[in-house]
Amino acid sequence: MPAILSLDRLEKRYGAVRAVAGVSLEFDAGRVHAVVGENGAGKSTLLRMAAGIVRPDAGAVRVLGTALPPGNAREAIRRGVGMVQQQFALAASLTALQNAILGAEPVRALGALDVRRARERADAAAQEIGVALDWDARVETMGVGDRQRLEIVRTLMREAKVVILDEPTAVLTPGEADALYATLRRLAEAGRAVVVVTHRLDEVRRYADVASVIRRGVLVSTRTMHGGAEDSIAAITRDIMGAEPPPQLERARRTPGEVRLAVRDLHSGRALRGVRFEVRSGEIVGIAGVDGNGQHELVRVLAGLDAPDAGEVHSVGGGGGIGCAAVVHEDRLAEGLVPSALVRDNLVLGELARFTRFGIVDAAALDREAHVRAARAQLSAASLDLPASALSGGNQQRVVVARVVCGGERAPVLVLAQPTRGVDLIAARAIHGEIVRAAESGKAVLVLSADLAELRVLCDRILVLARGRIAAELPPDAPDARFGEAMLGAPRPVVERSSEVAP
Amino acid sequence: MTAASRSAVLATVAGLAAGWLAAMLLVWLYGESPRAIALQLVTGTWAVPYGVGQVLYKATALLLTGVAVDLALRAGLFNIGAEGQLAVAGLAVAGTAAGLPATTPAWIALPTALATAALAGAAWAVVPMVLRVRYHGHEVISTIMMNRVADALVAFCLARGMALPGTVRTADAIPATHLPRLDAVGLRALHGSSVSAALPLAVGVTACVAVWLRRSRIGREVVLVGMSPRACEAAHIPVGRRLGVALLVSGAIAGLAAAGPVLGNKGYFESGLGAGAGFGGIAVALIGRGHPVGLGLAALLFGTLDQGGLAINGRVPMEVVTVVQGVVIAAVALADARIRAVALRGVTS
Amino acid sequence: MSLLSAVFSATTLAQTVRMAVPYACAGLGGVWCERSGVANIALEGMMLAAGLGGVVAHLATGSAWLGVVAGLIVGACLGAAHALLVVRGRVDAIVSGLAINLIAAGGTRFALRALYESSSNSPPVDGFRNVFLGGAGGVALLARTIVDPLTIATATLALGAVWTLGHTRFGLHVRACGDDADAAASAGVAVERVRLTAVSLGGAICGLGGVALAYDQHQFQSGMSGGRGFIALAAVILAGTRPGRTVAACGAFAALDAVQIVVQDQVRAASALAQMLPYAATLFAMYAIGQRRIHARRDARATTSL
Repeated sequence: MPAILSLDRLEKRYGAVRAVAGVSLEFDAGRVHAVVGENGAGKSTLLRMAAGIVRPDAGAVRVLGTALPPGNAREAIRRGVGMVQQQFALAASLTALQNAILGAEPVRALGALDVRRARERADAAAQEIGVALDWDARVETMGVGDRQRLEIVRTLMREAKVVILDEPTAVLTPGEADALYATLRRLAEAGRAVVVVTHRLDEVRRYADVASVIRRGVLVSTRTMHGGAEDSIAAITRDIMGAEPPPQLERARRTPGEVRLAVRDLHSGRALRGVRFEVRSGEIVGIAGVDGNGQHELVRVLAGLDAPDAGEVHSVGGGGGIGCAAVVHEDRLAEGLVPSALVRDNLVLGELARFTRFGIVDAAALDREAHVRAARAQLSAASLDLPASALSGGNQQRVVVARVVCGGERAPVLVLAQPTRGVDLIAARAIHGEIVRAAESGKAVLVLSADLAELRVLCDRILVLARGRIAAELPPDAPDARFGEAMLGAPRPVVERSSEVAP
Repeated sequence: MTAASRSAVLATVAGLAAGWLAAMLLVWLYGESPRAIALQLVTGTWAVPYGVGQVLYKATALLLTGVAVDLALRAGLFNIGAEGQLAVAGLAVAGTAAGLPATTPAWIALPTALATAALAGAAWAVVPMVLRVRYHGHEVISTIMMNRVADALVAFCLARGMALPGTVRTADAIPATHLPRLDAVGLRALHGSSVSAALPLAVGVTACVAVWLRRSRIGREVVLVGMSPRACEAAHIPVGRRLGVALLVSGAIAGLAAAGPVLGNKGYFESGLGAGAGFGGIAVALIGRGHPVGLGLAALLFGTLDQGGLAINGRVPMEVVTVVQGVVIAAVALADARIRAVALRGVTS
Repeated sequence: MSLLSAVFSATTLAQTVRMAVPYACAGLGGVWCERSGVANIALEGMMLAAGLGGVVAHLATGSAWLGVVAGLIVGACLGAAHALLVVRGRVDAIVSGLAINLIAAGGTRFALRALYESSSNSPPVDGFRNVFLGGAGGVALLARTIVDPLTIATATLALGAVWTLGHTRFGLHVRACGDDADAAASAGVAVERVRLTAVSLGGAICGLGGVALAYDQHQFQSGMSGGRGFIALAAVILAGTRPGRTVAACGAFAALDAVQIVVQDQVRAASALAQMLPYAATLFAMYAIGQRRIHARRDARATTSL
């Protein structure tokens, strides 16, 4: 029996980078197939090509043996390839039902929408995965969980033979992830091929039938999983990293000093609902949790960009508001850097006042400082005159961290949001080194990360942020299950898990 | 030459070629000889001193409005409102220059008049600025609306007492506010043409803006904000204030563009004086590409076309020049986009 | 006749309807463009060019209907050019719109001189003269205005826009493209084709407005759109790109014009200020929308959590 979906020597180049370099892969009916790799390894691009969303430079995508026209999402959908992207592809101002039928609308005469038939189809598809959605709600009012379910319903309504999901658990708590995989298992058992792009190995171990590893755009290995045996997981880890995993950072014993950052009863809309914690000098505190539980708002308040509705941020030794915390923001390309500006300017972004006399910038002084920081980020002097967009993700992040650490020398608190997201391993290690050094120099350090493993290595204690509150404080070596429980936040109904439409 | 500037030059040349082709096609359709008309266009402008002077006169206003639009573009703002800013400033400067006591010494009168022009232009940018900075209202829409309000306001003021009875022009400015014509200060060859001391003034303003954007803290931050407002906000650069400064200075410079026609040429404001220079400035900015020399060359080019249109009007309708402007704008933008797409081959799928 | 009774008369109403037709066509054209996600500041130029095209065809063939067809074609061609530049060529929509306005302004004057050796106006045309409803007076005028083919066409187009956008596949595709083109594309909507169609359609409807204007004046005059395209743009913005509200805003602006004409002699000074009103109203609406968005964002921040 031929594979439902087969990829034949797919190639994709972005500028000078070969994002995908000749990958061939097959996906069979009845299986949950995990495609794993580090951030930026090319796995998303690969599957986006498979779904016709990205046009490959070379190679072919075949469904049941016949080739799809390249880069034609419409045709891919018609032939049964559906994809749930990480950034949901939903039109926010349209209703759930309109989004569900978009691109495959049942119509009557004159192209008029047949709403009744649309609703029947949508209900049938929703029933198959056991969810109920408010079809008349606009997508912009729906929670992320419902948006994801809507996307899955949509692919089913198109009678997808292949369902591809890109990092579907990034926005889910561990419990919700279990439920999602149960659904996916059912879809596979009904004869579909299910493809999950992920970088989380525990999901691979627990749920996948087959696992393929992509590294730097190349397919490294494909393994059939036998009940999640530990040795195959170890082998996958090796494949992902391209070598034996480097030794974990040694967690040194630090002795915390006095309180440097005290956050009291912070409220911001419904995103932050009474956050309260303290960070001491010389201490690294982690904030774990699923994205969208208030992390973004918390960072903005700590950075002095938003005023909270209530509560206060108090820092000792630096005053409140701007300047109390040096902050590395989570979205590097949007908030961390000005991509089209030179690395030189990015290294001192926002600090021109320090190099200005009578309104005129002292170029020589600025240049000296930029060199110092470039050295700290281990960048060559030549790269100072490149636009920041020309650097790799890892080096971009090192520019941001160097700027924040050097520029925020006097700030008593250092806050880093997702400091190593999408960063290669070497740069990640270097950044971890900077974080530890900052703590050892007496700063209070707060790290927010969706990557629990990262927090476990770095932090002295970990707070779990769920639904705008600190749900738990746990030691770094607490078991996964306890983190999972805490991330769920307040208890919620277990039976019907789909009607979390925001009021 | 870097790859980026090479492709910019390439796109500009391609766009100009398209514009030229369109012009020649229209001329041919009209039944005239393209070659003869082209010759007449050149001889009517650059071959006679008077023509050169007139080209420079037209280029003066275009350079200033071009710099104004360009400055806003650097901050990521599209100031379509130079046209209205110029019109309001023209009326204001004429009113002030006529209203000053006749005995005012030039060293007070002239700066006062120029400051009036700049302030009026900036004032006309205040509403779009506030809408943009505080209420995220798109400056393209608001400046278009302000242009139309300016039209109506100027007509209203002229109709309600600012114009001399029975005319659509204001009273004469006092002599002390006049910007001297260049033919009167030594360049006798330009005799009869309208180019005035506004030209060196415009060149000076262009240079000052270039230096300000490169060297000053605020100027550099304006450029950074134009590249990525979110990153600048996160780095505690006051994004709103930088956008506001850019739009106000842009309006002020567009207002200064009224100085040439009013103080350097006519000595009064009349309905329609300087009209078209605001939109021409958009073309200048798009083709000048954020470089002072590029802006200067683009202003000269469109100045030549403006004057050339008059030179050929006897044989071919001068409006062919407006069409060329439009074609050049579209073609350069298209060529730019093509080259970008080729350079990045496939980055945006 | 007293001022009040002059304002509230059948004549004023007729004038309002008559002036609303070009506005409403241009506005509806703008709605189709904006809704598909392509900004169009070239309504002014499209009206102008299509108006001339209509008059030229009318004069050449003697048929007012063929003039309408020509106007629709000219408008659709300009719309298609705008869409091709923006969608295929990836040119900024504002830049493309400016270019089209310039080309239309210069091109119509050029063509006037080339065809009719006049830089100001074309020879007169009949347009649609109603032979059945004669008579003077306001009521007769109103009747003639209402049964004018272009008035009826405009009303049909308005209802059609509301229905098509709200209840058809094409309308849903247009709205999805305007909301989030990437999302629409990955759902299988052919974004480029939808935008090309919508903007060409918008151009054609806008062109109908130009023809209506020219027929109303019984000739083409250079620059005769006189900012109406921008007023229509204002109406589109004011209405938040909704077709029904756009037509309503156009009607309000037309009423303003009509009242001005009626009361011209009595209150001359007010008329220049009244001309500013549509634009000032739009600026105020931008403020109000921004204000509301600030509040909405505060609420949205409140709902970003799960």
